[in-house]
Amino acid sequence: MSIDPRYIRNFSIIAHIDHGKSTLSDRILEQTGTVAGRDMQEQLLDSMDIERERGITIKSQAVRVDYVADDGQTYHFNLIDTPGHVDFTYEVSRSLAACEGAVLVVDATQGVEAQTVANAMMAMNANLEIIPLINKIDLPSADTERVRAEIEDALAIPADDAVLASGKTGVGVHELLESVVYNVPAPQGDASAPLRALIFDSYFDAYRGVVALVRVVDGIMSSGARVRMMATGAEALVEEVGIRRPAEVACDSLGPGEVGYFVTGLKDPAQVKVGDTITSAVGGVDEPLPGYRDVKPMVFTGLFPIDSDDYEDLRDALERLALNDPALVYEPETSHALGFGFRVGFLGLLHMEVVKERLEREFDLDLLATAPSVEYHVFKTDGSMLSLHSPQEMPDPGEIDHVEEPFLQAKILIPPDYVGAVMDLTVARRGTFKTMNYLSQTTVEMLWDIPLSELILDYFDKLKSSTKGYASLDYELAGYQASNLVKLDILLSGKPIDALSFIVHRDKAYDRGRVLCEKLKAIIPRQMFEVPIQAAIGGRVLARQTVGAKRKDVLAKCYGGDITRKRKLLEKQKAGKKRMKAIGNVEVPQEAFMAILKVDE
Amino acid sequence: MIDLKLDDCMGDAAPLPFPGRESGLLPDDAEAFRALYLHIPFCKRRCLYCDFATEAIDALAAPVRTYVENLIRAVRRASREDLLGSIDTVYIGGGTPTFIGQGLLTEILYTLSLSMHLTDEVECTIEANPDSVTLPLVRDMWALGANRISIGVQSFDDGVLEVLGRVHDADDARRAVSMAQDRFENVSVDMMCGVPGQTLESFEESVRCAVALGVAHVSVYPLTIEEQTPFARMVDEGRLADINEDFQATCMELAADVLAGAGYARYEVASYAKPGFACRHNKAYWSAVPYLGLGASAVSMVQGPAYRIRVQDGDVVERIGADEALAEDLMLGMRMTEGLSQDMVDAARLVFPEFDSVARDLSGRGLARWDGGRFVPTDLGWLCGNELYGTLLDLAPSL
Repeated sequence: MSIDPRYIRNFSIIAHIDHGKSTLSDRILEQTGTVAGRDMQEQLLDSMDIERERGITIKSQAVRVDYVADDGQTYHFNLIDTPGHVDFTYEVSRSLAACEGAVLVVDATQGVEAQTVANAMMAMNANLEIIPLINKIDLPSADTERVRAEIEDALAIPADDAVLASGKTGVGVHELLESVVYNVPAPQGDASAPLRALIFDSYFDAYRGVVALVRVVDGIMSSGARVRMMATGAEALVEEVGIRRPAEVACDSLGPGEVGYFVTGLKDPAQVKVGDTITSAVGGVDEPLPGYRDVKPMVFTGLFPIDSDDYEDLRDALERLALNDPALVYEPETSHALGFGFRVGFLGLLHMEVVKERLEREFDLDLLATAPSVEYHVFKTDGSMLSLHSPQEMPDPGEIDHVEEPFLQAKILIPPDYVGAVMDLTVARRGTFKTMNYLSQTTVEMLWDIPLSELILDYFDKLKSSTKGYASLDYELAGYQASNLVKLDILLSGKPIDALSFIVHRDKAYDRGRVLCEKLKAIIPRQMFEVPIQAAIGGRVLARQTVGAKRKDVLAKCYGGDITRKRKLLEKQKAGKKRMKAIGNVEVPQEAFMAILKVDE
Repeated sequence: MIDLKLDDCMGDAAPLPFPGRESGLLPDDAEAFRALYLHIPFCKRRCLYCDFATEAIDALAAPVRTYVENLIRAVRRASREDLLGSIDTVYIGGGTPTFIGQGLLTEILYTLSLSMHLTDEVECTIEANPDSVTLPLVRDMWALGANRISIGVQSFDDGVLEVLGRVHDADDARRAVSMAQDRFENVSVDMMCGVPGQTLESFEESVRCAVALGVAHVSVYPLTIEEQTPFARMVDEGRLADINEDFQATCMELAADVLAGAGYARYEVASYAKPGFACRHNKAYWSAVPYLGLGASAVSMVQGPAYRIRVQDGDVVERIGADEALAEDLMLGMRMTEGLSQDMVDAARLVFPEFDSVARDLSGRGLARWDGGRFVPTDLGWLCGNELYGTLLDLAPSL
């Protein structure tokens, strides 16, 4: 028996990263009694260990909360927690499409930041009713009135009635719940129309296959019905539908406006994609819900097991992770230096770090990651175009007509004092300044075009440090543009090391090569022999450094009681070497492959 | 750092444990002990680099006396259990054995002379610190059967000694050596190199000073910064320069040159001796000789046909099989100039089929070489010992 849509409220909580979204969600679950206090874990909705540890939300979540409002009526809230990081913008947009309202959380000490603006824009584009909420008002540095003004100035959202709250103390949560009842519209929908439902997230369950989170728009989604995923064309029987509280509770059906999960027994996540529309296999609709697109990775890196015997384990682990993470793509890659591994594509740097960490932690793999790269388009003289995910694949210069690289439209929010610093930094990173707006007296919005390849070279860290942490950044892919790009080779002991090569703008090649050689000199430990390090373009050496030969290593007394210690020391040393990769006869630590990310200009 | 657990081994109720007949740690098929070590875990004060099992204490304090009494009991018991019949080297180390004073040391040596055959053929070393060597002490030790004295000089440069936190100065050191030589022909000094602030000139001067004093034996150690020592903290806090391995290498090469020129043969990576004065006790540690360690934290090595066990404070701290023991012997053998004998090489080939390819790799890397049928370390192999030893130990990786 489906629920009267009049008493359903579907809403998301959106915020800039670290503004307290997940903590606020926890308080809502607590105060509505959805989760008993003793089951309460910090940031309950963030179920992955890494999410809890890093305090970020990577996957979307949905929870059904029953709330008895002050009017005495019980309302069914579907709270949809969305990823807060720019890498996951598409997932956010799909989650928002499942809602009628959004709570826009703004930190009372930080004010409006880049993702606040970006998320608010997305919510407005999705025609959501926005409830502004100023969070962390319990902090001594909270400046509620300034933040209220910023919300009005920068976002044009009336903030007189903004809810003042603290996720930490629980203050304001009741007001928020009441505001949701009165301000978020009840869902519209026709129970008698053919089924139309939106998949806004999915995950893989080893026993049941793909489990998808879904918002029913029209019609009824019932257990036992045959449905079709409109983008992928996959058809399946609905084996189970239910709601999440947050534990899964099966029910007979989901009606219009309802949010829940369904299981079909489909085992391949590629068939159940986020953003796709589900309809009845027979007598379904022809027109899918708008907004679906294929998620494409933006950043690529080579992942290699340090111990080549772990290759199969790495493949299995990637397979397992990809089940839950359709944005993760990978293909085998062979490196002369590193052996067999995979070229893996990610939505962004955070996504990459999270995946690498999960592979190492959950699957106990020692991995070596090469410097991230982007997808270059190489137009060859024979008229063909090559999509390049790895510098290794770069053709000979003679075969190249020109190369294009992905550019971003970046939005940077800063206090006016830092405009100069951001100018300097971003121009140095080949950014092109577009325009600048004063969102308020204290916030300037700068718009830039910047190559993605520059952004992934610790641009965000640099931006933060050159603005004393005030800058916030949001970006979206703006397309490909031609750039004068060359492949820079790094040679160790005279041999080019494919895994260390990278693609760089010709004007930057000399500086980057020089700095990288210096960095590598500091990173590569001294060996039994000299190790020359060179940076070269097509055989022309731009820079060189030498790691001197090791003349001595630890040598202590070794009498009766020392022998056991000596043995342990040597074993420890061996374990340390295991964290390094032997390339030819040179032991290279993992950091060496990431050194390019840390080249200070 | 080793936990002394002095409380545990003080007093009559808790004698110092060792792998004797009643301990259950000495199998019937164990080989006889041939080296004996006695540990004196007391010092006037702890040096800044020290992570040895020792405690700074008043030499007249009751725990010192109680400890020595228990040590004497342990020697007597080992004798009654017939563990000392094959001993041919004795080493009384610390800590600072001379710090506890003539009286207590005399008691220990007297006990030894009653408990075993402390003949002239037995090498008996007393470790000493320059500030606690006195002429009467030297004469008594000699009279009671000690025939070798090893003095922790470290340097003849007052500045370097101060950095190390030693309690003596260069004059004390010179005096101590001379006093020792009043009776002992076999006097050894320890020299340290690579101490922060030490120059190559200062180090060379110290080595030449030892030569000029006519000592029979010199040990040269590079300073190592051990965890949880004051030095380690000082390095972490930036108050002390970290080890400069290049400088230490240069010092060690220099020491080898100077000492070779003065007639000292290098018989181990850190040990130099005039003909006939190589330390037999230390060589025992590197030659698969079973040794009995008495006293707090002293390690014993018990060995039989298929096992090698190390026991400390009554606990087995390491137990390895025959293959691992052989790999260990190869590693320890390569500390010495004589390297691996033809017999050891043959044994290694039998147990480790890959021995020859490993040896080829080591030769190729310049760490070792063949000398007739012997496999011996090169100068580089000595300096980069961890490379060499690690590779050999890997022949029988522990699980």
